[in-house]
Amino acid sequence: MRTWKLPGFWIPLALVFAWGLIILIMGQDTARETAFTLMMFVAMASSLNILLGYTGYVSFGHIVFFGLGGYFGFFLLSQHDWNLFLAAIAGGALSAVLAGLLGMAVLRLRGAYFALATIGINEAARAFVSNFEPFGGATGLFVNFAAYERYGGAGKALWLTFILLWVATLAVVLVSFLVKHSRFGLGLMAIREDEDAAMVMGVKAPRAKTITFTISAFFPGVIGTLYFFKNGNVEPGDAFQLHMSIESLVMVMLGGQGLVLGPMVGAVTYQGLRGYLLTSPIFKDLHLAVAGVFLLLIILFVPAGAVGWVRGRFPRVRRFLE
Amino acid sequence: MKSKGVCLVAGLAILGLILGLSPLGAAEKKVVIGFTASQTGKLNVEGMRQVNGLNLWVDQVNAKGGAKLPDGTVVKFEAKFYDDESKKERVQELYTRLINQDKADFLISPYSSGLADAAAVISQQNNRILITAGAASDSTYKKGFSLVFQTYTPASRYLTGAIDLLAKMDPQAKKVAIINEKDKFSTDVVNALKAYATDKGYQVVLFEGYEPGATDFAPFINKIPAGVDAVMGGGHFADTSTFAKQLFEKGMKAKMVALLVAPPEDKFAELGEAANGVIGPSQWEPQAKYSPEAAKAEGKEWYGPTVKEFTETYRAKAKEEPTYHSAGGYVAGLLLQKAIEQSGATDTAKVKEVLDALDIYTFYGRVKFDATPKNHGLQLGHDMIYIQWQKDAQGKLFKQVVWPEASKTGEVAPYRTK
Repeated sequence: MRTWKLPGFWIPLALVFAWGLIILIMGQDTARETAFTLMMFVAMASSLNILLGYTGYVSFGHIVFFGLGGYFGFFLLSQHDWNLFLAAIAGGALSAVLAGLLGMAVLRLRGAYFALATIGINEAARAFVSNFEPFGGATGLFVNFAAYERYGGAGKALWLTFILLWVATLAVVLVSFLVKHSRFGLGLMAIREDEDAAMVMGVKAPRAKTITFTISAFFPGVIGTLYFFKNGNVEPGDAFQLHMSIESLVMVMLGGQGLVLGPMVGAVTYQGLRGYLLTSPIFKDLHLAVAGVFLLLIILFVPAGAVGWVRGRFPRVRRFLE
Repeated sequence: MKSKGVCLVAGLAILGLILGLSPLGAAEKKVVIGFTASQTGKLNVEGMRQVNGLNLWVDQVNAKGGAKLPDGTVVKFEAKFYDDESKKERVQELYTRLINQDKADFLISPYSSGLADAAAVISQQNNRILITAGAASDSTYKKGFSLVFQTYTPASRYLTGAIDLLAKMDPQAKKVAIINEKDKFSTDVVNALKAYATDKGYQVVLFEGYEPGATDFAPFINKIPAGVDAVMGGGHFADTSTFAKQLFEKGMKAKMVALLVAPPEDKFAELGEAANGVIGPSQWEPQAKYSPEAAKAEGKEWYGPTVKEFTETYRAKAKEEPTYHSAGGYVAGLLLQKAIEQSGATDTAKVKEVLDALDIYTFYGRVKFDATPKNHGLQLGHDMIYIQWQKDAQGKLFKQVVWPEASKTGEVAPYRTK
């Protein structure tokens, strides 16, 4: 219960809460859209961090849960007329169940072998969906524009989607923190440092890893459903983009893995930079090159990630930056 | 009393002067056309050609002093665009920005159906007209949008003309094999093709899809039964080129090979002998025979430059041959200009009304949109033309337009005679 009193617990939550609130008060479409993209990646990176940061297992398959969960949620929404909120929860639940089943098989693999297996899973999922007729096969699924009427028109539907994403992001941050500060989380970090030693000390490594994998997979499924609903359609090519998995990894590393605040800072920095460069009149033709140079510099000089670096440099602020 | 009368007359005179001059005062109006384009990423070649086409239109219309409305107002155009990296992630964000920050009055879609769908949600929500160029899938127009208008012939009519051509080429032909890329566009095309072929009494002896990015087609080619009359399908440039090459290497014996997307590109000729005889559907080609006279004969209005004028000015400005992507970009702007001039306004409702009823010819061919709520904005008027790579007297490959009858520049030749 002591965790409730830690400033490191409140700061990330307060930041996300204030961010969403400001956007709601501003009530401006452009600000909302920019925030949606950023927040989506904050939530993606933070949920990946639960696995990557705490157990040290590198997964390239995070986007699979975004794709499959999103597909399932969108399927319920478009074909069975489910409500967006319930569909998103169902999408997340499917991702979590899949991760549980998958984890039992692949989490017995360690290190590089696990990472390689997750790449294979991404390809397999895409091939499966493009041949799976209920999900529309290669042509995908779409919602009629009239579907937005149910939420009071497209404008309101997009706001609702944003609010749900905001709630989901708050939930990811909360769960990240709770896992980190639980006995279970200590077990995960023991696995990260030395899995064999952790097992000797009584940590049931395969089970703990599978549970973590399940928790971290729930959120991408929810976010995927929201994102596809907002786009109005989903296709296999958009749902399983390996580069989004890699970008999520980069964001976690950039901000600092294993910290609650790290992936948030990483995602905002990385996507914010990309978004700025894309629309700035000076850089808009060179944005990819400039983003590449920035990344290189950060990784060369601040390998612990931004938040990790600050914590290392100023021990006093550690209790504020969890 | 007299002075009052003078005042009244003077007042009326001044009022008249103001009214008379006011059109001059409000003479110029700026309309912003917003869009995202694939400057980088997998669709950049097609995407940039579309931008070149659109920019050419903006330059030309402004150089001529803008579009002139019946009330004397002159409308000048300005294009604003961002790079969407050929990815969907930021399309909605960028379109929202175009509408709210850059104050775009009209929108043009990104290249490809997936990206255009995402943009359509934003345009419809913000009450902006979106002209799609390069978004061929039929499904976009079945979603209940009322402000989205398609310039391309829809995917469902991409290869159906090849069946008509086959019937004319060899009335005995019976068997068709279909092998396609498994993505949204190609799947939409072949599903419609299969239905059409079956309907016309053809037997579809093979109907298989390959994964996007495939490089080895031998397993599919080996499955094609002997005695097949035509092989159709393909997907995008890279895979379709490889497919055509492997069909040739395997000594495919068929009367017709008709493939998507790659054949109309000039680069396709680099396949050499393997390109010879391959047929491909194209939205538009510089050899197209549309003319103001032909339009008049049909009782339709002609608007904009002739095929020759467009081809020459494009070549001079972009330093490349125009393709249908370039024509699509240009015509998207041209249609907006026509609708603005005819409606005499720049507001969405009036321009939409004109677009709904539009039925005209341009250098790009006929344009007419479906105005029913069920398929609103679907392109009905425009037809595909089919090109075939043939050899001239010197043995050099060139593109011959072989279908439809009205546009052809020469006769179709069988794919392989040996």
